[in-house]
Amino acid sequence: MTGTTAALHRPGTVGEATRVLAELGDADLLAGGTDLVPALRAGTRRPRAIVALRRVLELRTRGVGADGIVVGAGVTYAELAGWAPAPGLAATARAVGSAQIRNAGTVGGALGSANPRGDLLTFLTAADAQVLTCSARRGPRTVPLPDFLLAGRRRGELVTAVRIPPTHGPQVFLKIGGRQAAYPALVSCALVVDRADGRVGCAFGGVAATPPRARAAEQFALAEIDWSAVPTGARAQALARRFGELVTEAARSAAAQLPEGPRDPADYRWHAVGVLAARALARCLAAPAGAEGPAAEGRGGGTVAGS
Amino acid sequence: MTVAGTGQDGTAGTVGTAGTVGTAGTGRASGPVVRRVLAGGAGPGAGDDGYPGADAGPLAGVYRLLVDGTLRTVDGAWLGESLLTVLRERLGVTSVKDGCEQGRCGSCSVLLDGKLVTACTVLAADAADSRVTTLAGLPDDGLAPAVQAAFLRHGAVQCGFCSPGFVVAVTDLLGRRPDADEHEVREALAGNICRCTGYGRIVAAVRAVQEDLAGQAGRPGEAAPGEEAS
Repeated sequence: MTGTTAALHRPGTVGEATRVLAELGDADLLAGGTDLVPALRAGTRRPRAIVALRRVLELRTRGVGADGIVVGAGVTYAELAGWAPAPGLAATARAVGSAQIRNAGTVGGALGSANPRGDLLTFLTAADAQVLTCSARRGPRTVPLPDFLLAGRRRGELVTAVRIPPTHGPQVFLKIGGRQAAYPALVSCALVVDRADGRVGCAFGGVAATPPRARAAEQFALAEIDWSAVPTGARAQALARRFGELVTEAARSAAAQLPEGPRDPADYRWHAVGVLAARALARCLAAPAGAEGPAAEGRGGGTVAGS
Repeated sequence: MTVAGTGQDGTAGTVGTAGTVGTAGTGRASGPVVRRVLAGGAGPGAGDDGYPGADAGPLAGVYRLLVDGTLRTVDGAWLGESLLTVLRERLGVTSVKDGCEQGRCGSCSVLLDGKLVTACTVLAADAADSRVTTLAGLPDDGLAPAVQAAFLRHGAVQCGFCSPGFVVAVTDLLGRRPDADEHEVREALAGNICRCTGYGRIVAAVRAVQEDLAGQAGRPGEAAPGEEAS
């Protein structure tokens, strides 16, 4: 049975979805459910109406074009995990949650929840992603991810896709968490290298309300690393170490720091993202030229199959 | 499609409670009364246990779920109820275990349109046109019986709470990736928590099923290097 109750709306197209959102004005969007449904149970969210996007097949498309990769908001982590054209995205998606979560959670859901520890947000921030949205009244809009995360979804607006500009070079995503599976990472770090122009995008999650970019570290990498003759040995180690220090400094000076917990004092988080960043850069330097070599890894306190 | 009322409407809750038994329709009518896990159920009046109940929001209206091949009517459920809540507390499907309700423990693992998910993170009303497969709905002529037998034989069942979720997850994995190596097996099962076995016996059971499968296929020597069963 499909259709709509007064409280649950199950549109079949983007057009229907945006119309319903415009009419309701105030409704929660439901994608994979991995964030919203537990919040409903816990009572931390009590929407009067829910717009469920499971049936909107338009949102499940993805493709590669001249202006980069476009991934529909309804694409799941599991679908991304095996997707060859986007190795960094695929590697990040593989590090998310568990098989159960990856089968359900979507790109649009990650943007809608905007969890400051969201793995995907860290990677997308490093990759200069743009968010494509649509609303019945104002039509489509493209907004840089950091702006979207700061301002949130506008009333009546639906996230339809994210777009990542094309790059050619290694991409690494690393995270630290208490348990490898299913828990959000404590901290994470993503590096996206474009060998063509030497730029390195570096973002870190789990420190501030949204994943900041480590601009000083990026400038350092741009100035010091020639990706056509990649440094090795002690020189590579020194570069990675200095890069990590700069990321730690960026973390320390980031605005809107997340509250400290008993197991994650701010000092630890700043240090940890620096360690991840140094490790990530070392891997990028070691990646063979030409290989778009992705690497992603979750580092947990326990074994793979549990804590 | 109707909405009978909001959380303040006590009558609607009564309907939901009665519906738990009345709509079972799978031969349970003469059997024991379907067990309600929470005395107050998920309906109104359950608010004193710290869960939403006094005002659990709007009702979902009447919808039907295709559970293990049988259409089940759900009437009087709240909009916000998860598939886990509806399966256990309204339809009496108690092999789906309620552990964390956050998608982290895997004890409520089911297949939704053939994909392994945690029922606690699926909105029940939004599963209305999907196929829900629980442990009982895994085909008798498929891998599930072998997986269950291997779990028993290898001591992979201790307290048993996580077992239904594990069997669903393992059956899903071996259906897709019968030749998975041990790393892949552990990775695929990382969303299922077991607090008894330490996972060694569970992995051993999975490896044993894989060995049997390879043997049946007449290619016992084809296991990848390092794949010898533990």
